[in-house]
Amino acid sequence: MSRSNRRLEEAMTDTGKIKCPDCGIDMNHHAEKVDYSVEPGGVAAEFGGVLQEVHSCPGCGKTAMRIAS
Amino acid sequence: MSSNRPIFVPVILGTPRQGRYSEQVARFVLGELAKREGVETELIDIREMSFSTLDAGEAIKDSRFSETAMRADAFVIVAPEYNHGYPGLLKHALDTNLKEYIHKAVGICGVSAGPFGGTRVAENLLPVMRELGLVTIFWDGNFSSVQKAFDQVGKLVETAYERRLDKFIKELIWMAKVLRHGRENVALE
Repeated sequence: MSRSNRRLEEAMTDTGKIKCPDCGIDMNHHAEKVDYSVEPGGVAAEFGGVLQEVHSCPGCGKTAMRIAS
Repeated sequence: MSSNRPIFVPVILGTPRQGRYSEQVARFVLGELAKREGVETELIDIREMSFSTLDAGEAIKDSRFSETAMRADAFVIVAPEYNHGYPGLLKHALDTNLKEYIHKAVGICGVSAGPFGGTRVAENLLPVMRELGLVTIFWDGNFSSVQKAFDQVGKLVETAYERRLDKFIKELIWMAKVLRHGRENVALE
């Protein structure tokens, strides 16, 4: 797990939402994107890359990604 | 909930070449965006970035570019058409980010010395935009015979571009607002 993903897991709420590291409010999960620019170890076979969740903050607009479970 | 922050639309000047006419186009677009109420903009000049070729993707991020892209609601890419394609350094720069682009709007301004106004570079960029998670608008900026469109100090002489760009910017801002609302409020079901 990358350092940024570990930080995001620490910021998760009970509902599985990510809290914005700047605003402290729940971010909105609005997309899932296959990331092909990653090491082969993390690749999900059915997608050919790493499936990432994309979350954005309603307060400041900051975006975060984490590997989809 | 929808935020009242200004819509931020940086303009990416997509070529590092000396003598580039695209800079005049980018500065014109920047000026037109800056006239809009509730819109902020700034120039991203890929010539000012330094990218290593010893690694790829996020490992060679330009932190200033990434921070600007993260804050953006939409992008304008000003891209000259070089041998029917886009500048390699533009693609190299774009490829260093991903999450910064997802569900954000993008408009393309093609630039050419010939009569087609960079239509081929715009078409070539479309699948790249889609894979990066960006959402394209259907208006393009097409700056043909660009060496005649501006005077020696970079002032626009072909004034028809003002009206065309107005349509482009209006659609881009509409798309930027809609996508911001979606990113921040509409959950993936």
